[in-house]
Amino acid sequence: MSCSADAAKEKLLWNVKKEVKQIMEEAVTRKFVHEDSSHIIALCGVVEACLLHMLKRRAAGFLRTDKVAALFTKVGKTKKQPNVQEPLKRQGSATSKTPVLTPQAIKHIWVRTALIEKVLDKIVQYIVDNCSKYYEKEALLADPVCGPILASLLVGPCALEYTKLKTADHYWTDPSADELVQRHRIHGVHGRQDSPSKRPALGIRKRHSSGSTSEDRFAASAREYVESLHQNSRTHLLYGKNNVLVQPKDDLEAIPGYLSLHQSADILTLKWTPNQLMNGTLGDSELEKSVYWDYALIVPLSQIVCIHCHQQRKHKTSPREGKVFPKLRKRNSNKSVDLEETPAEDVSTDYVFRIIYPGHKHDNITINYHHLAASRSASVDDDEEEEDKLHAMLSMICSRNLTAPNRMKDTSEMIEMQGFGANLLSWQLEHCSQGSSCISCSTGSSPYDIPSCCNCIHDRTPLKMLCESMKRQIVSRAFYGWLAYCRHLSTVRTHLSALVNHTIVPPDKPSSAAGGLTKEVWSKYQKDRKNYKELELLRKVYYGGVQHEIRKEVWPFLLGHYKFGMAKKEMDQVDEEIALRYQKVMAEWKACEVIVKQREKESHSATLAKFSSGSSIDSHVQRLIHRDSTISNDVFISVDETDSAERDSKCQDDPSFTVVSADTPAAVAAVEQQSVEFDSPDSGLPSSRNYSVASGILSSIDDGQSVSFEDGAEEETNADMERTDPDTAPVQKAKSVVPQPQDSVSEEQLCPQVDYLMDVASVCAASYTIELLDTVALNLHRIDKDVQRCDRNYWYFTADNLEKLRNVMCSYVWEHLEVGYVQGMCDLLAPLMVILDNDQLAYSCFSHLMKRMSQNFPNGGAMDTHFANMRSLIQILDSELFELMHQNGDYTHFYFCYRWFLLDFKRELLYEDVFTVWEVIWAAKHISSEHFVLFIALALVEVYREIIRDNNMDFTDIIKFFNEMAEHHNAQEILRIARDLVYKVQTLIENK
Amino acid sequence: MAGGEGPVSGVAESREHLFKVLVIGELGVGKTSIIKRYVHQLFSQHYRATIGVDFALKVINWDSKTLVRLQLWDIAGQERFGNMTRVYYKEAVGAFVVFDVTRGSTFEAVSKWKHDLDSKVLLPNGSPIPAVLLANKCDQKKDGSQNLSQMDQFCREGGFIGWFETSAKDNINIDEAARFLVENILANYKTFPNEENDVGKSKLDLDPLKAESKSQCC
Repeated sequence: MSCSADAAKEKLLWNVKKEVKQIMEEAVTRKFVHEDSSHIIALCGVVEACLLHMLKRRAAGFLRTDKVAALFTKVGKTKKQPNVQEPLKRQGSATSKTPVLTPQAIKHIWVRTALIEKVLDKIVQYIVDNCSKYYEKEALLADPVCGPILASLLVGPCALEYTKLKTADHYWTDPSADELVQRHRIHGVHGRQDSPSKRPALGIRKRHSSGSTSEDRFAASAREYVESLHQNSRTHLLYGKNNVLVQPKDDLEAIPGYLSLHQSADILTLKWTPNQLMNGTLGDSELEKSVYWDYALIVPLSQIVCIHCHQQRKHKTSPREGKVFPKLRKRNSNKSVDLEETPAEDVSTDYVFRIIYPGHKHDNITINYHHLAASRSASVDDDEEEEDKLHAMLSMICSRNLTAPNRMKDTSEMIEMQGFGANLLSWQLEHCSQGSSCISCSTGSSPYDIPSCCNCIHDRTPLKMLCESMKRQIVSRAFYGWLAYCRHLSTVRTHLSALVNHTIVPPDKPSSAAGGLTKEVWSKYQKDRKNYKELELLRKVYYGGVQHEIRKEVWPFLLGHYKFGMAKKEMDQVDEEIALRYQKVMAEWKACEVIVKQREKESHSATLAKFSSGSSIDSHVQRLIHRDSTISNDVFISVDETDSAERDSKCQDDPSFTVVSADTPAAVAAVEQQSVEFDSPDSGLPSSRNYSVASGILSSIDDGQSVSFEDGAEEETNADMERTDPDTAPVQKAKSVVPQPQDSVSEEQLCPQVDYLMDVASVCAASYTIELLDTVALNLHRIDKDVQRCDRNYWYFTADNLEKLRNVMCSYVWEHLEVGYVQGMCDLLAPLMVILDNDQLAYSCFSHLMKRMSQNFPNGGAMDTHFANMRSLIQILDSELFELMHQNGDYTHFYFCYRWFLLDFKRELLYEDVFTVWEVIWAAKHISSEHFVLFIALALVEVYREIIRDNNMDFTDIIKFFNEMAEHHNAQEILRIARDLVYKVQTLIENK
Repeated sequence: MAGGEGPVSGVAESREHLFKVLVIGELGVGKTSIIKRYVHQLFSQHYRATIGVDFALKVINWDSKTLVRLQLWDIAGQERFGNMTRVYYKEAVGAFVVFDVTRGSTFEAVSKWKHDLDSKVLLPNGSPIPAVLLANKCDQKKDGSQNLSQMDQFCREGGFIGWFETSAKDNINIDEAARFLVENILANYKTFPNEENDVGKSKLDLDPLKAESKSQCC
């Protein structure tokens, strides 16, 4: 037996374990496994690989191509148990029938059928029990440990029900977000597995790079290092062996230690730690100082160039004899070591791992690993000559050149190359050796130890020269790399420094802020307003939130309605002013609303009268058919625009210009017709018109119909129109009177309205242009639509409270008609209403909130800034994910964050969490970052980064995923991560 | 894993399609309701205004050989954010443009939406994607029937492949409209075997792969 054979078995078994796990997960999350599931195919594949491992040729039959078929047929013949025989027989016939299966499935038809018939475990158990008949001694199935493990692993999958049923939800349905998260939880016991392409983030390098330099090792707690040897969340302990003897120095006895193999993402690390450091008898300080640290070995396997394998010569082994094996190969797909298969004749050899890596005081180390059954000892010899060291470096570089060409993306990563002394992380190493050609191949190398990938004839002579030139090259590269790195960093800093506050406000000074802003603290503040520090309160909010009971009192402060430190009197004054303003605004828009409503009502009646035979839509169809609706009538539009300009100026010129009676319907019709017919839908929000009104009027004029209420309509609308009609206005201005009711019906309808209208008109001394009325009508309609459906499931939003919400929203929009109502604003107002439960306060606070938020709405432009900032942040803090986003259809435009930023995550979280998150966002402005939302967004991405990465999500996937995850996030965790991220960026900038 | 083969296995010539279909129109015309009715067979008063985009997936057993998955993109009625709709529209192969029969202004906007659609997404052969006009909330229509010939004429001139009076509330015509659109999308694949079908195929070949890898690796 040999270790590579062991490893091969381990690997086969590990693959089976992995697939079994997958299939069981699918069974758990989906409740059933479909026969077409890719997991079945994968499982069959790995089981078959196990079965074929060292299968006796005789057993399989020389000529049979399908060895498993041969094996199973034999088993079927010999085995007595009928429950196994039956399916196997059927299987024999099944292969000829070939049911509807994919080629992959057919490939493993025997294993597959056995699995689906739920006998695979029994068959394997039988084979294991009778292994000598079919297998070589070294076979996995003949292994006293592995064989039975394999059989028992298969018990689980053989107990599952497999279905052929194609349900709609199974078929091709992507797993839901919940399912993905659930699977990740089951699967992600190894925690965060960084793939090698993930560069350590700039800010966290110090913490994570404690790999192999002694300085770092001391910087990090030694205790931590020892703990890292155990199974933990960051790395996966693949193998551990106690009491492996290593001779650290020539003059030292071999000492026992713990040999372990660790896997973190694709990086495999072999560690050997002297027992003295392991057994925990030393205190922390002693531990740190212990000389044994010098002996400990940390060898990233990716840096092993070759394994030198010696023939056994009792004790003293010479590194110059024996076989040389090429470097360990890594298989990226399943992250396990694939040791080079040892030829059979080497079974009795000892192994010398010739491990070459920089960063240790020896440039190369040969570990002789005497693989003897009874005593295992290892020794490290460093009696190599100077040349060998050089050669080692060269061969390392050489092999890298050949294995990973063109991977030098960023010269900035070369910074630590200087002198070879520093710790080279694998990612740095991979990059730094690029570009230099395979010099050692063409020139010199030692006679043994030829890198397998290098076929040239080696010659020793110009080695020294070569080294000189290499040294120069390396140094110059290092310099340029360093330069580029510095430039990059400075760009990063300039870019990021605007995103965070530079003073770091700690969570624990002067006292812990984790408890948040509690009632007690708040009442203390209220007693002593003058002396309480605003920043201290905000710090508590930032790190711990606000106790729910006092939110109503605190929020107006956080939002800027009150200022911290205000006396009660001042606060009352603020309230009074707001109340006044709110009432005024309410009166204004309500007055306008009356007119708008009236207009709508009457136009509808008029339309009805005209098109009594058809629906209102027909009128639009009629008009639209005969014009090209997509091409704007530029001429008329421009006329229209000048008209409106004139109207506006007229209105401004003449403040008394209010209601004018109508007696020139033709002119009105003409004007109105213009605006109706030639307004393009493309012309946007403010100028879009109420067509119904217009068509109604037109029809009434055209037909000369005289329906009782229609006159009223005409009257009223005309009144509106003519206020703005440049042609008729001069004539009629003088005759500013209340329209004469023409019959009793319209009188009843109109009088109170007109009175009210006159009333308001005199109050605000303003007049309404058609534009304004249209805009208001449009906005009111949008507001109504959204208010009606605003969080209908939340208890607070009863009809009464929805009315309040509407009032506040209309008031705000009235004051900001140029932007108007945009969907989403209701979502922003709703939580404020819930907490404050007071129109005026909500109005004021909402206005404050919107100072920031309105920038996100289409006219603002902040959204693009957010996206750009997200881009930079992800690029810097998680380049791996950024790459993935870039590759999968490039969604680095970050549009999937749109809703997050537009609504401050309101739709992503449950109401209770929205409160918490919003407070932190508001407080963050003063504590850590004005752009805290960015960091929340970043935290959301980071929390699910493995899922995003492992599922290789594209834009549709990710936007769908986050839509489905809405209201399922752990807000506290996200906030914590977001705060950490701010801190990370702050320290990054600080470390200039 | 199954690799590129996908679940299309077995029955020769059986085909599966994934179609991205947009649902657009003014705010509050009932886009979300139509989708909910179509996909979940229910009408709810309790949905919220859509912000950005929502998704729904409808699987149709088109015939014994064809399975169609409609990925419905429910795009917010007031989505004006710059380039974003362009990204939303990308690779769509069909669209519903919805308006509210009780509100004339939403019908006016239909042309605007159609224009927006045609300017931002085209079929691989360069023609506009098939769009069906839905006159929603027909249960609330206050007066007699629509003038059919006029609507037909409007559709012809506006470049719609057809129109339906629908009601998400009363489940009127929604399945029919979807069927009509899918027929049209499928016909597009057959009409342009050289260009479009290939593009379609490669897209379809990619999709199962993705779906597979998804279920496999997390």
